[in-house]
Amino acid sequence: MHLDWGPDVVAFRAELVAFLDEHAPPQTRTRRDFATSDSDQIIPGWAKEWQATLFDHGWMIPGYPPELGGRNATPVQTLVYLEEMAARGIPRSLHFPGYAIVAPSLLEYGTPEQRAMAPAAIRGDTVWCIGMSEPNAGSDLAGLQTRAVQDGDRFIVNGQKVWTSYAMVAQRCCLYVRTDPDAPKHKGISLLILDMDTPGIDIRPLTHINGNADFAEVFLTDVEVPVANLVGALNDGWRMTQGSLAHERAGLWVEGVARLEQTITGLVDLAHRRGVAHDPIVRRRIAEGYQRAASLRALGYKGFTSFAQGAAAPEHSYMKLASSELGKELYELGMEIQGAYGPVIDEERGEEAGRWPLSFFVSFANTIAGGTSEIQRNIIAQRVLGLPRA
Amino acid sequence: MNFSLTDDQELLRDSARHLLEHQCPPALLRAHTDDLTAADDLWHLLDDFVPLGIGPLVDLCVFMEALGSVAAPVPFFSTACLYAPVLEAIGEHDLDSVLDGHATGTVAVAGADGVWHPNAESRKTFVPDAARVDLVAAVNADGAVTLLAAPPVRRIETLDTTRPLYDVETAVPGTSAGVISRAALDDVLLRATVALAAEMVGTARRLFDMTLAYAKERIQFDVPIGSFQAVQHKLADMSLDVERAWSAVYYAAMAVDAGDPDRTRAMHVAKAAAGEAARRAAKDGIQIHGGIGFTMEHDLHLFLRRALASEALLGTTGDHHDRLAELLF
Ligand SMILES: Cc1cc2nc3c(=O)[nH]c(=O)nc-3n(C[C@H](O)[C@H](O)[C@H](O)COP(=O)(O)OP(=O)(O)OC[C@H]3O[C@@H](n4cnc5c(N)ncnc54)[C@H](O)[C@@H]3O)c2cc1C
Repeated sequence: MHLDWGPDVVAFRAELVAFLDEHAPPQTRTRRDFATSDSDQIIPGWAKEWQATLFDHGWMIPGYPPELGGRNATPVQTLVYLEEMAARGIPRSLHFPGYAIVAPSLLEYGTPEQRAMAPAAIRGDTVWCIGMSEPNAGSDLAGLQTRAVQDGDRFIVNGQKVWTSYAMVAQRCCLYVRTDPDAPKHKGISLLILDMDTPGIDIRPLTHINGNADFAEVFLTDVEVPVANLVGALNDGWRMTQGSLAHERAGLWVEGVARLEQTITGLVDLAHRRGVAHDPIVRRRIAEGYQRAASLRALGYKGFTSFAQGAAAPEHSYMKLASSELGKELYELGMEIQGAYGPVIDEERGEEAGRWPLSFFVSFANTIAGGTSEIQRNIIAQRVLGLPRA
Repeated sequence: MNFSLTDDQELLRDSARHLLEHQCPPALLRAHTDDLTAADDLWHLLDDFVPLGIGPLVDLCVFMEALGSVAAPVPFFSTACLYAPVLEAIGEHDLDSVLDGHATGTVAVAGADGVWHPNAESRKTFVPDAARVDLVAAVNADGAVTLLAAPPVRRIETLDTTRPLYDVETAVPGTSAGVISRAALDDVLLRATVALAAEMVGTARRLFDMTLAYAKERIQFDVPIGSFQAVQHKLADMSLDVERAWSAVYYAAMAVDAGDPDRTRAMHVAKAAAGEAARRAAKDGIQIHGGIGFTMEHDLHLFLRRALASEALLGTTGDHHDRLAELLF
């Protein structure tokens, strides 16, 4: 056991820091830990340019080769990259589906033509959305019913998706459809690439509880998709629902933990401003938050160690569960510290333009999206601890 | 930050586990409850490991974790984690006989409030193993260390019998052994606290493992109780707490070994995280066992007792959070 990562990391970090100092736009340097819209655009112009700049300099996904926006970084270097970005609160992109989920799946399962779509997805030139969830298929994703029927060289698609983030601005969608209604539910699902300007698609934005309209319902009526847009084999879509950046997965927790740590620093400042910095209960609760974030960081590194040695790292589910739940508690504490002012978002009267109540709202998404906390506990119990299914 | 054990550390862990699994069964803990000498043979098998007390903290933690998982009723913590480092800090030549396994000892610091801060009170409290070690090193308000042979002691009855605690009357004749600076004493206690946290993680994991195994074998409503989601989610939360506490402990140990500036915070985090893990494992462990877990016949309570007693020693979870707050505000 040792604390440092060795010498090859030092030069790597220095190069990254120099790049960030030179290129990161001012909007990425606000160190905000909350998502209130500072623009009426879902993906503002500066964010598009920033993502392209990262790609062109090999800093978008460092573990990938240069043609995919990387520099063939080692796993440890990738972790250092994620750490440094998170510590500075600099986002890579304001739309994660393309680079984090779609591109890795296309590269792993796609035809040569489909693989060729990956660079634009990573650079952010193409905005992608993910059509998984449906009104009757949330946690039970395999219950999805959107139907695709093959007719010669095309599929005819009918059905409805929901909670589809970025649907209103996306050019393409990774659409999960049922192609064999008679097979067991996991075995009749296929993955299609859908062009969002195809006739028959009706997108109705849904507003998040914090006021942003970042996801939508997507209605599909007799939508034609060329058979060439089938990713992988017919009825083999289920295993592609798990796709994400495999080589980054062991480090993706860093961003969440760094945000927790920044939130704790914010709580200490808030307690001073509100005159409760000497309240023993407030102090203890903030310290508990610090302890939980710090022990999670240690657990993240432990998981990364196993991952880097090629062992399975179940820490991913632990990290998702614990950091999303802790985040919610910390924002709630921030509101509580303000007493009657807890829910105030009025810039003149409240603290930090509603940072605490609005972040509290946003934090609900983290314990729901990408597998709810209950589903994470099921995964831990059944896949990590080996308990029998009900 | 590399969390993998070296080959030597793995060997240490495996041999400690192997030895303890055979030599420290729950029956020994029960026998020791009535007769402290019941663990003497076990101690003679373990005294070879005393030098770990003044070596790298990661190695010491590996060993302590193994001791915790069997709630070993031996004066290792007092001798190796407290006494030997105090003798080392004051340059006491008797250290050699301790490292050889010939002499045992413990350290008395806390006064009536139970807090391990140097103070002028002559009656020291919460001194581990005071009646069964050769010497008690009493530390007074200005750090003067006096070695006492068989001072008057009074056993403090606690929930736990595996690590007996005592009041010690230190205003009795003894040998002046030198002065330990405040910084040196803080260092000894910092290491001892992390080592104790490692031991607690071992105990918490034992409680968790027993409970997980039981959840897989106990049948109700024709199925294993571990298939009920209410039980699964408790176990998932228990294992999360154990895993994060384990990681926090070894991070702290690495930080201490490296002299990293984060080491004091990391120590508080480790003890508090281990306290939370141990407490949850103890409480939910009993709950998931149902009635059988509430009986003296079952072994679970042996570990429950040790977990709760360790949580209160060298600062409770709440104390460590409060001291952490001092560093954050
Ligand atoms: C901000 C945000 C963005 C999203 N973006 C996308 C996107 O881009 N594309 C997409 O396809 N989807 C997206 N989603 C949908 C998301 O994946 C689902 O909301 C999530 O999987 C939960 O499904 P559900 O909402 O239908 O809830 P349900 O599955 O109906 O769950 C309701 C409650 O029941 C509990 N529950 C369900 N099953 C179990 C079980 N087996 N055991 C215990 N408890 C259970 C859940 O934990 C939850 O508390 C997004 C969601 C949010 C909040």
